[in-house]
Amino acid sequence: MAEQGGLEGSQPVDLSKHPSGIVPTLQNIVSTVNLDCKLDLKQIALQARNAEYNPKRFAAVIMRIREPKTTALIFASGKMVCTGAKSEQQSKLAARKYARIIQKLGFPAKFKDFKIQNIVGSCDVKFPIRLEGLAYSHGAFSSYEPELFPGLIYRMKQPKIVLLIFVSGKIVITGAKVRDETYTAFENIYPVLTEFRKVQQ
Amino acid sequence: MSCTSCGSKTLTREDISGSLICTSCGAVQEFDNYDAQLYGRDGPTGTYVHVGTSGTGSALNYKDKRIYESQKLIDELIFKLDLSGQRSIQIKNMIDKITDGEFGLGDWFPILIGACSYVVMRMDDKSLPIAEVASVLTCDVYELGRMIARVVEFLDLKLPEFDIVGMFERVIRNSRLPGLTRLEGNMLETMRKQGVLLLNCAVKWFLTTGRRPMPVVVAVLVFVAELNGVGVRVEDVAKEVHCTVSTCKKRYKELLEALVKVAQALPWGKDVTVKNVVKSGLFVMSYMEMKSMEKRKEGRQGLDCGGFDLGDLVSECLQKDIECATEGNGVESDAHYFQIEERSILGITEVDHVDKIQLSHECLAMIYTSFANEVDDGKLLEESQEINGSKRREGYELHACREWWCGKSELSKKLLLKKILEKDVGLDTMPPSFVNGCMVNERRRAKINAAKIRIDKIMHPSRADASDSDKVCVSKGVRTGNRKRKLVCEIDWEDFIIETLLLHQVKEEEIETGHYNTLLSLHVFDSGGI
Repeated sequence: MAEQGGLEGSQPVDLSKHPSGIVPTLQNIVSTVNLDCKLDLKQIALQARNAEYNPKRFAAVIMRIREPKTTALIFASGKMVCTGAKSEQQSKLAARKYARIIQKLGFPAKFKDFKIQNIVGSCDVKFPIRLEGLAYSHGAFSSYEPELFPGLIYRMKQPKIVLLIFVSGKIVITGAKVRDETYTAFENIYPVLTEFRKVQQ
Repeated sequence: MSCTSCGSKTLTREDISGSLICTSCGAVQEFDNYDAQLYGRDGPTGTYVHVGTSGTGSALNYKDKRIYESQKLIDELIFKLDLSGQRSIQIKNMIDKITDGEFGLGDWFPILIGACSYVVMRMDDKSLPIAEVASVLTCDVYELGRMIARVVEFLDLKLPEFDIVGMFERVIRNSRLPGLTRLEGNMLETMRKQGVLLLNCAVKWFLTTGRRPMPVVVAVLVFVAELNGVGVRVEDVAKEVHCTVSTCKKRYKELLEALVKVAQALPWGKDVTVKNVVKSGLFVMSYMEMKSMEKRKEGRQGLDCGGFDLGDLVSECLQKDIECATEGNGVESDAHYFQIEERSILGITEVDHVDKIQLSHECLAMIYTSFANEVDDGKLLEESQEINGSKRREGYELHACREWWCGKSELSKKLLLKKILEKDVGLDTMPPSFVNGCMVNERRRAKINAAKIRIDKIMHPSRADASDSDKVCVSKGVRTGNRKRKLVCEIDWEDFIIETLLLHQVKEEEIETGHYNTLLSLHVFDSGGI
């Protein structure tokens, strides 16, 4: 199959940054922020329409907003985790929106120490990969246990990123704190993958 | 001190309880045997007022008790897992090392025992499926898997590659299914060799990569059993090795489909379907075996292409004969390979059709008769001779054909992945997940094209051509099942999303990946202001 050329469409792929011609798509951003005030979770759950709180199950209020479509976990300590955004900016905007909601409920919420904690990306190299061969030659970094998980777990040391590599050529890249780490990890692994690609005969 | 009841001074201390007893009236005296002990993790510490039966010296302290109980549990589980004495020592040593000699009691401990058993067996290159350990422990496979990962990490081990061939051999050897236990040793050995060959092929065909190995083992076992007329059901084998029946059936179907593809090279290939491939299974396997052996010969031909000397070729062929004869057990039936080799070399111009000239004419006629008529060997011999007309190779019996499939090629042995990949078995497929991915991409591509036409039609009504009307919807061919029959083509939610994305200038390649939610969020409902 032809590799993704990226020449069509609005933004061509920057080949100096992505020599493989493939740009991983960011699928999920997890960020944290400190609202810097103690919260009464029960009150939040009673007042906000978009919140659920079941202390028996989980000690945080789960709140959702539609725009950007995200979910937040709000803890009594005032710490908040925001998940589900597709870009860093969206994640920050969503976190701000949650903080505003908390403020409107009458708490003196601030917006302290916003940090992106994890970025999950995925892409497709469009060729099948011999996972057994990869696991064998990169034994120090890989774990491939087909009895437990169908993919090969590749723990890259530099950058410190975990990649899930599947036989179909689909790749999941996780553990990055900044977008570029995801891209670098993929560019590092791509030549390795091509080494173990299955060639159509 | 005198007895509180009779005043007698004849008090003695009883050994078992440690209480004072009056020997004259038998009254048990007031409790006075306070034992100053407090049990910590490592035994008695501090002051402890002990009430009860245990006198000093006769009681086990907590640590000893814990170690005793845990050793008992280890022995019990090792027995259930059917492991030998040497392994049990290894497992105990491993647990000792991990727990720092503390062993343990509690729900986690059996899982640790299971994990250590698995790791010890795996390090020893012996097969023990996780599912089996989990069923003995009655715990979840993933729970056990997590513990195994922790053990491996803690001890800094590198587990050897999962040995699917070893697993198959174990299953066929230890099976308690009535169909298999009744079989004779050599029959079982034959089945084993056939199974190993198929498993090697399955590895080559990506049927095992990224999949749980046990269902593939079950599928191969069931196929081999069927091939040899042994009645074994998928459900029974799956139950025995703790696999999901539906997965085993799916793998079985995949195996059959792959074999059907290989069978296409046979003269009657067009007639072979998933339903009847078992009947020509032996021939398919012998074909694969011959193909795999031929690989080496092809390589040599390639080398000789530059300056070609028939004499050299013949002498090399003779050397090859010796090789084969020493490799295989049945020297006699190897003769067929040599004849075929000679032919293919002499008719070197037909190298392109090498697939077709692998089997001699007589032989093909015979096996085709066998396939068509499904008669017994004796009857077949007569018929095939009639069909052949000329009897150039008399005494060539179907029996000889049947001798083909095993023991003669390396494929019937456990091979390294590299070697398996080097072998040509007449079929080279892509992984099912990859093929499915390509199909889904193609379907999306068709939808994108249809959406583009629709958009174009709306934007430029004058250009709208009547002939395009059928392209407006996704081509019906790519749809499956009932939808295929519908004459009216539908536009579904996916089409609308694709249209929306196209109108928002999203790259077509990105749409093709099918991450609609992400793309909608990034390009359509983008409030993040990238």
